[in-house]
Amino acid sequence: MQLRDFFSVDAIDLDLSTETKDETLKKLVGLFHLDEKSEGILFKMLKRRENLGSTGIGRGIAIPHCRSLVVNRLRVAFGRHEAGLDFKAIDEKPVHYIFLIVAPPLEVSNQYLPVLGKIAQFSKEADVPERLAAVENAEAFLQLLEEKGV
Amino acid sequence: MHEQLETLLEMQDLHMQRRALEEGGVRDLETGLFEMSAEQAIDALDAKITELELRLGKSIQERFRSLIGTHRRAVVPVLAGVCYGCFVAVPTSWAADADPNDRLNVCQSCGHFQYYPT
Repeated sequence: MQLRDFFSVDAIDLDLSTETKDETLKKLVGLFHLDEKSEGILFKMLKRRENLGSTGIGRGIAIPHCRSLVVNRLRVAFGRHEAGLDFKAIDEKPVHYIFLIVAPPLEVSNQYLPVLGKIAQFSKEADVPERLAAVENAEAFLQLLEEKGV
Repeated sequence: MHEQLETLLEMQDLHMQRRALEEGGVRDLETGLFEMSAEQAIDALDAKITELELRLGKSIQERFRSLIGTHRRAVVPVLAGVCYGCFVAVPTSWAADADPNDRLNVCQSCGHFQYYPT
């Protein structure tokens, strides 16, 4: 299983210009092109998860995630915010890189946890924040995932 | 989308989060990587589930409780015209509605609430 196989170019936004965490979550959910109601439910679930504890894991990276019946397969999106957002991250620093993961309640191949784990593993690599800052387009982002062997 | 279906979906998602926090993999990740307090999170989820339950009619509330208790799922998707609670085909007239989620559909075969993902 390769992480890049789960990302599509149209679910990668390297120029987020949002002002708040909520706005950012909405924007990233929008990359999945669901209907308005489903987007609303997904946003609420992600917010509830954030209220239980921030998904900002430090070093400028956040991994909001949830399961919901409004998606029928595992979906992932990535967003980069140059100025940084207040995500109430563990290290209290602004978040610049956001990996969004949503999955249906039941998946045949049960990929949710492994994908979450792989993104966490990728995020922990020392040079990743710097490399993410430097990627120029979606293709370069996917190449970085491939290069890191996740 | 039918208002009560929306509430049921939310409640089911919360139940799922709660269950995940009681079990292995996700719990380890949530408490390890994200430094979450699982016990506090479960309490918060329980409070929200109770609050949402009050929005449901009594019979829907009872059906939801019974299904979630027995099958761990109360709302199931309908994919390619098949109910994923019992794998029986749903009446074609239901799926043909402009938006089948505008009604609160209950499977005639297994009794689960049905949701049509987009």
